[in-house]
Amino acid sequence: MTSLRFVFLPLCGLALLGCGAPTAPPQEKPAAKEAPQADARGSNEEPAAASEPKSAEPFVLGDLAPKFDPPTLAELEAKVKWVDSPVVDTLALLRKQKEKEPAKVSVEEALKLENDSPEANEKILSALSVLAPEDGQGVNYDATISRALSMDIGKTNPLRSSSISEAEILGLTSFGVFSFDWEMNPLASSDSVVSWQTSEDHMYDKVVLRDDLTWSDGKPITAHDVEFSYRVIMSSKVPIEAMRTGTDELLAVKAYDDHTLVYFHKNPFATNVWNLNFAVIPKHKYEQTIAADPTLVESEEHAALELKPVTGGAYEIARWRRGQEIVLTRRESAYMHNGKQVRDKPYFKEIRFRILEDESTSLLALKSGQIEESVLGAEQWQTQTTGTDFYNQNTKIMGPEWTYFHIGWNMDPKACPFFTDKRVRQALAYAMNYDEMVNDLCFGLFPQSQGIWHPDSWMFPKNPAPMFTYDLDKAEDLLDEAGWVDSDGDGVRDKEINGEVVPFEFTIIVGNKPDRVAICNLFRESLESIGINCQISPMEAAVLMQRMFNKEFQANMAGWGTGTDPDLSKNVYRTGESRNYGSYSNPEVDRLYAEGQKEFDRAKRAEIYGQIHNLIYEDQPSLYLYNRSSFYGFNKKLRGYRLSPRGPFHFGPGFSAIWAPVQ
Amino acid sequence: MTLKPPASRGFWAEAWRRYRKRKLALVALGYVALMGLVALFSPAIAGTKPIVCKYKGSLYFPALGYFNPRWENPIFRTDRFRGVYPANLKQKDPESWAIFPLLYQDPYRRVREGEWPNQPENPTRDEGQPSRANLFGTNRAGVDVFAQMVHGTRTALLVGFVSMGIAAVIGIIVGACAGYFGGWVDMLLSRVIEVVMCIPALVLILALIAILERPTIWHMMAVLGATSWTGIARLTRGEFIRLRNADFVTAARAIGVGRAGVMFRHIFRNALAPVLVPITFGIAAAILTESALSFLGFGAPPPNPSWGALLNDGRTNQQMWWLIVFPGVAIFLTVLAYNLIGEGLQEATDPRLKQSS
Repeated sequence: MTSLRFVFLPLCGLALLGCGAPTAPPQEKPAAKEAPQADARGSNEEPAAASEPKSAEPFVLGDLAPKFDPPTLAELEAKVKWVDSPVVDTLALLRKQKEKEPAKVSVEEALKLENDSPEANEKILSALSVLAPEDGQGVNYDATISRALSMDIGKTNPLRSSSISEAEILGLTSFGVFSFDWEMNPLASSDSVVSWQTSEDHMYDKVVLRDDLTWSDGKPITAHDVEFSYRVIMSSKVPIEAMRTGTDELLAVKAYDDHTLVYFHKNPFATNVWNLNFAVIPKHKYEQTIAADPTLVESEEHAALELKPVTGGAYEIARWRRGQEIVLTRRESAYMHNGKQVRDKPYFKEIRFRILEDESTSLLALKSGQIEESVLGAEQWQTQTTGTDFYNQNTKIMGPEWTYFHIGWNMDPKACPFFTDKRVRQALAYAMNYDEMVNDLCFGLFPQSQGIWHPDSWMFPKNPAPMFTYDLDKAEDLLDEAGWVDSDGDGVRDKEINGEVVPFEFTIIVGNKPDRVAICNLFRESLESIGINCQISPMEAAVLMQRMFNKEFQANMAGWGTGTDPDLSKNVYRTGESRNYGSYSNPEVDRLYAEGQKEFDRAKRAEIYGQIHNLIYEDQPSLYLYNRSSFYGFNKKLRGYRLSPRGPFHFGPGFSAIWAPVQ
Repeated sequence: MTLKPPASRGFWAEAWRRYRKRKLALVALGYVALMGLVALFSPAIAGTKPIVCKYKGSLYFPALGYFNPRWENPIFRTDRFRGVYPANLKQKDPESWAIFPLLYQDPYRRVREGEWPNQPENPTRDEGQPSRANLFGTNRAGVDVFAQMVHGTRTALLVGFVSMGIAAVIGIIVGACAGYFGGWVDMLLSRVIEVVMCIPALVLILALIAILERPTIWHMMAVLGATSWTGIARLTRGEFIRLRNADFVTAARAIGVGRAGVMFRHIFRNALAPVLVPITFGIAAAILTESALSFLGFGAPPPNPSWGALLNDGRTNQQMWWLIVFPGVAIFLTVLAYNLIGEGLQEATDPRLKQSS
């Protein structure tokens, strides 16, 4: 028996953790971005989605898909040599992993511990990550879990998902074929798939779906739903531009019968596997109505589906009270088929998401038991979760997270004349008081960022460039060298550009969060002392996102979460890409990204991406500030959680491993 | 022998006599005057820049930089002082001397180790309890709260006076025209007043902040001024209607005084007293609004010190009580003082209360 865990739909993508809440429209696809701090749980609408032109041309399903006539299955089988790819029950995989990690203390002891040292943290994690017994003995299947969302969801159609909150909900309610484990190895979920084979030349992927899958309205989930969803994504009238990235790398998706699916690739790349993953919607519900309403959410029928979506995941939406709470209930047809249990029964009967926008409110709710898990801020971790009022009902865990915060420069000379020169950017990197940022403003909990990869990740270079340190003399020398001197004696550096004396004055836009503003302020203090005027402009998450997206900024402070594959970051650093807000361009970096995509050997890929890391760190398109860590508080009744580089929920098995024992 | 009748006191002298009798109002007035002095001399009370210094043969006043960064002499920048004066002055010019503010603390940055003799570096995180070096404690970044409050006084008073100044000018002109001319002018202006009354200032400010590239405290003052003049206008209108047919006005008109002369020389002077009252209350309201906006994070952009911004700092961690108590008390006292003054004025200038006093 395998288990049905929710599969993250579109799983790749970097998260932009900029502003308070938002993660950005995922770069490759929505959803994937995870961002653990409270702030990162919210989201905002994707700016691009709204700007889709409304023209009078008729709707054509799949008009963006390449013109391609797929061969018959027999022809394909004749010419292709298949190699098996992993089909995995992630819970079983984790169970195996847990056998290698014996608990350091008993659960009872762990619950008594206070998490005040790395050792205590390790003990708590090792004991409380205990999984439920395979036969389900002692699991309270009637349990309800209350969780927090920092922002309401806007849409329930998985194709229209654009925010972290939506990703959170859809991760539990949607049907998915592919997923990845806590080390971000791609896999097909055995809950959905019988077999997954990749051709030897990496041009085709063949998947056979299980025949016991049903939508929440009782209709079977078939390969045709997957093909239909692909064609919907590739329709120009459907306003989901961001969702298309990655999916548009596919040549075709073809359902040969109800269960057999073949994905055709354009190129034999190592990153092909991440393109297979997209959200799936029920064909029988949308087939007739999509032509009339390509937005998928506006027409009467579609609006009704928004309120009561037909879902394919372990849970379904039972209640949605806007701005207050979303209640999901376990879906019997997800694990039962024709009266027989065919998958693991999800551990919770009901999941209640309360919408709590303020961090302090969610902490209070956690302390009083109204919610049972919550991200914690660094300061909350250090000062507000140390007393009995917290430990009465909760415990907390921490771990590294592959997320970095940075101040991005706008290097487009037309928009902003200051940051085109590498020496200026390096000078600015020398002007950040890293020690004080790390030790005082970040409570000593976040290390200085070493660049775009996390030091724990496999692609981090073996010979990393030395980190920038706080050195105002070097900064001033570099600025002098770059021609930014105080020529008019007003105390502010300036430079003649096209016959005009431009003073070095710029504005950093930043999310309206005291900790981030404080970091910008520390930077401003140093800059002012070396003759650069810097304004700080805190703004709402949605406004910040919009400004970044439209490249209407000089400098911005934000964060990027990790994608599942380093290749995904090309969206941020390759010339002309959609998330390259600062207009960074380095031909060598572009070349290496192309090379990394073609390479299949992980060691060689690591070397290529390591080179990219060092090149980018040297170029300083952003000032790399710090790596954030994950901090989470969990109610003492919960078990089975562990941390991945993307936090405790967004990997396989993630949330579906969490359970509550019978009291 | 002629008996000279005692000279009767003028209206304002009489009002002041009666105002003086109200102890609380008098204390409030003193408090506001003190705040004014604190605002004016804030760079001399708390700061890290010398009030006056002799450096390389010239006299400089770097503390003026707190009023406007451009007034801080660029020579200290070029000589790589990096904002730290005491050691650099001595090191770069042994002949130099300087007079520093009473308290060596900066509202914009943290004071670090060794900057000032016998003064430890400012504590950061949540460890900045009030101490001898930091009277009101420090915030998370190690910036002294007392220095921020002293410099924040400028913001608070400025917001009150400027926004109410704008409101008073608009309100008095509109009210005077409506009351004096009457008829369709009155009809029209009264409708305008009613329309403006419906505009919520707070929402307008929030919208403005979202639109503006660089919102400053001046924008906020302009919006507050442009929306809060209606009360003043209505009162002025009433006073003008009351006075426009008074004998002294008719007399003035009879000897050929022009319209503007009648309105502002004759009527307005007599209508001023009741109008002052809503202005005083308005100042209190404007200070509250500014604090509320800063508390929500939409106030003056950082690092401009403001009482409300300090409250916002303290919002997420109640253990840092000093971030809430001191600015809270300052806001409370200032608003209370203005309200007491307004009340005092009201009673001191109300002729109906004359007999009783």
